[in-house]
Amino acid sequence: MNAAIEARELCYTYEDGTVALDHISLKAQKGKITGILGANGAGKSTLFLNLNGVLNPSSGQVLLDGAPVRRDRKGIAELRRRVGIVFQDPDDQLFSADVYRDISFGAVNLGLPEDEVRRRVEQAMERTGVSALRDKPTHALSFGQKKRVAIAGVLVMEPEVLILDEPTAGLDPHGVSELMRLLSQLRDSLNMTILLATHDMDVVPISCDYAYLLGQGRVLLEGTPGELFSQPEVLRANQLRLPRMAHLMEILREQDGLDTDVSAATISEVRRELLRLLKQEGPT
Amino acid sequence: MGTDRYAYQSRLRRVSPMPKLLLTAVSLVLCLCCDSIAVGLATLAGMGALTWLLGGLSPRVYLRFLKIPLAFLLIGSITVLIHSYPAEAAVLAAVPVGGRLWGFDAAALRQASTLFCKAMGAVACMYFLTLNTPVIDVTMALEKLHVPRLLVELMELIYRFIFVLSETAANIRIAQESRLGYQGLGRSISSLGTLASMVFLRAWRKADRVYTALESRGYTNHLTTLSSGYRAGRWLYPATAGVALGQILVLYLERSVGG
Repeated sequence: MNAAIEARELCYTYEDGTVALDHISLKAQKGKITGILGANGAGKSTLFLNLNGVLNPSSGQVLLDGAPVRRDRKGIAELRRRVGIVFQDPDDQLFSADVYRDISFGAVNLGLPEDEVRRRVEQAMERTGVSALRDKPTHALSFGQKKRVAIAGVLVMEPEVLILDEPTAGLDPHGVSELMRLLSQLRDSLNMTILLATHDMDVVPISCDYAYLLGQGRVLLEGTPGELFSQPEVLRANQLRLPRMAHLMEILREQDGLDTDVSAATISEVRRELLRLLKQEGPT
Repeated sequence: MGTDRYAYQSRLRRVSPMPKLLLTAVSLVLCLCCDSIAVGLATLAGMGALTWLLGGLSPRVYLRFLKIPLAFLLIGSITVLIHSYPAEAAVLAAVPVGGRLWGFDAAALRQASTLFCKAMGAVACMYFLTLNTPVIDVTMALEKLHVPRLLVELMELIYRFIFVLSETAANIRIAQESRLGYQGLGRSISSLGTLASMVFLRAWRKADRVYTALESRGYTNHLTTLSSGYRAGRWLYPATAGVALGQILVLYLERSVGG
């Protein structure tokens, strides 16, 4: 498996001396959803801005498809075209009062001919399900709708890597599941590489194929969600928690002495695990 | 911002802003230049009818919008109307106050009603534009008319972030009120001051984040976007000529009847 985007020994220090990234190395596999977990201030947003070329790392490299990104004007423009960021607050991203024009912005910046821009805008609106909102002013949209328009505004650039900063924050439960479905679709149908920062732990086992835990600007853990959840003490030390389901399995194991698999973190995994236990208990 | 909401619902919403701008400009200039009561009233009726018939705005809503400038115009016209005259002047209506007459004569009445009708006609012209064209389309048209790009981009950004900022301000205000921040004059003033400085600070920080987001989408000093397709609306050109012709005809009729 080759990594679509890779950070190698990335360091970033803010002007005031705050070390935000401290030798971070991580990879996002092509066509997978990679979760970046971490408490507030763990360095997730800074990492993303480095991966997209808005910030320049103090040292270290960003590699796209195994090739290091050059830090000149052309290299940065290329990086921004291939790596798109959806910001946490859609009001930061939507600068136009017109939905269609806002979505077109990124594609126009790529210098594409008008027909191609229009085709991409239509396609992005269709993928994110915002076609019906094209005639509405931005300020009349709900938070969830703004979020979708913001995603469409990045998809229009047809990036290979899509980065989302806290995509589920502020959405209602329906909005969260719709969004996660959209991300899975992008992964499965377009083979898009997705990086998402979150501290919504219940979303992680459902949607992430791989995950990293960041803390104080360093990579503390990496592995499949199951592997991360088998070390709950590290998560807790970083102001995170287990998903509710995994927590239940942990309690059943530690307090009730059941032989549960603590890496089971989704409803279907826990269900399978409980049925297995019930069958074991059955004959006695 | 009330008008913008109706502009989005207008039947002319998808028509290119250029012919709408032209129709507004031509009728506005003619209405102001003719300097006549009849042309003012005719423009008011004509542009009102166009907003109703072409834009699909209900007359009730339109009349409600007309009421807003009406109050200003009435006060303005009254100050033009009322003069002070010597005791033996020929006036239409006046009240004697300390040896002089305060009221109006025929000329003043004529002047005030011309001003009033002209202004109402002009308002109707502007309403045709604002009730049928969202702000964002007007700025697009300005850009085509070679208004400096920086100015147009600023207008667009300001328009967008008015809503974001007013929402922020409203939220802060509610948060303050829910903690009794507006009880008594002293506290109200201090809370309002905090609100103003908070809104300013947040705007400052927001600007930073917006810039970052623009950069990540390939911003290169120009906010160039593509608007959703417009209908050409060429049929509005003959309509423009028709309105202009109507205005001139009314002026001619008034002059020939009056003269």
